[in-house]
Amino acid sequence: MIEKIDLWFEERMGWRPIWKALALRNIPKVTWAYTLGSATLLVMVNQILTGILLTIYYVPSPQDAYNSVSFITNEITAGWLIRGLHHWGASAMVILAGLHMIRVVVHGAYKFPREVTWFTGLGLLAVTMAFGFTGYLLPWDQKAYWATTVGTRMLEVVPVIGPWLLRFARGGEELSAVTLTRFYGMHIWVLPALLMLLIGIHMFLVVRIGISAPPKASETEEEGPELEVEA
Amino acid sequence: MVHGEEQWTSGAGMAKMSRRTFLSRATTTMVGGIGALMGIPTVAYLVSPAKARGGLGVDRLPLGPISKFPVGEPTLFKAAIERKTGWVTQTEELAFYVFTEDGRNFSAMSNICTHLGCRVRWITDDEQFFCPCHSATFNKNGTVASGPPPRALDQFELLVEDEQLFVVGKVEA
Ligand code: HEM
Ligand code: FES
Repeated sequence: MIEKIDLWFEERMGWRPIWKALALRNIPKVTWAYTLGSATLLVMVNQILTGILLTIYYVPSPQDAYNSVSFITNEITAGWLIRGLHHWGASAMVILAGLHMIRVVVHGAYKFPREVTWFTGLGLLAVTMAFGFTGYLLPWDQKAYWATTVGTRMLEVVPVIGPWLLRFARGGEELSAVTLTRFYGMHIWVLPALLMLLIGIHMFLVVRIGISAPPKASETEEEGPELEVEA
Repeated sequence: MVHGEEQWTSGAGMAKMSRRTFLSRATTTMVGGIGALMGIPTVAYLVSPAKARGGLGVDRLPLGPISKFPVGEPTLFKAAIERKTGWVTQTEELAFYVFTEDGRNFSAMSNICTHLGCRVRWITDDEQFFCPCHSATFNKNGTVASGPPPRALDQFELLVEDEQLFVVGKVEA
């Protein structure tokens, strides 16, 4: 049955080569550390899905933000779960991306020809942290308010344009309704768009170039490690 | 080369399964499991607010001394109630037609047409409620006289205490 449906689509869409390239591609013999990128990807999917669900009830205004969040947590069925997954997922994603990056550094996997993968990875880490920073303000409670006050204040020490940056981030002199909506807009539109762009390139390169094999320890010091350009 | 073409047995008497088949089934099972584990709370989360039924918002709503209600003719009374929808509490105006034949037994009807929700009004000359939207008419006791409405006007349960009239709840149709 499933084979028949699969064949029906295959005849019309010819997508089997794509499936083969993505899921049945050959990889070197790797360790569990190589799953860290996929783990980050899984948490990212979790963030996207739970984030979309949160927007169903969340309202980014000083009057409503806190109340809508507590409504989600306390009154909506499984709201505590959806919000909890998004909340803890945010930290998990930063940690996993960090560990993934350490693995890449330790294996020297950032070297030729994977520099672009590395650069988009740096972009992804920055975007992930920007998600965390903008998302933290959204509940509009004391912790959120003061964390953002302090966090945006740091921009002020940037030479020359610091004071301007601070006003730009806050959308004015002080934290206000304007700050909340711009953080929200960043969090649900701008950053996801950037994330999709970067992850698209990142994953394309992982598939296109293939992942690196774990480096081998060299027999003699003088020889240096074997350089494996292609896996 | 493709990994995992070798056969392996996971125990005496168990059928041989290729590593690839095993991993592919295990992955499908896990993805399905996570999907179900997340799918069910997601549906519950989305459906949740639809389960809330709008009540009066208060235990009893005072309408005033019974002596002030005109006998023999439905009269419109308005009362403000605080109603919480989601996280927003709003003051909402409820309107009822209070009707008594003898000044002792009261009935109260909603002025919301049971067709599509327009407001009905009492037309003294016709001795009927009239809905301007699709020209429906209702009798003095709230039953449908003509037009598209599927049922009589909603009734509210009333209580007389110390010569005071209170609305205590909506009578479920
Ligand atoms: C934001 C989330 C990120 C996701 C979802 C992600 C995802 C992935 C995945 C699934 C792989 C496949 C191989 C593996 O898992 O080890 C990979 C490879 C790679 N990633 Fe990331 N990554 C992220 C962030 C980063 C960061 C922060 C860096 C470093 C700056 C980075 C640099 C690399 C490099 C260089 C490779 C190629 C490794 C190789 O070929 O062995 N990535 N990424
Ligand atoms: S809404 Fe009253 S008749 Fe249609």
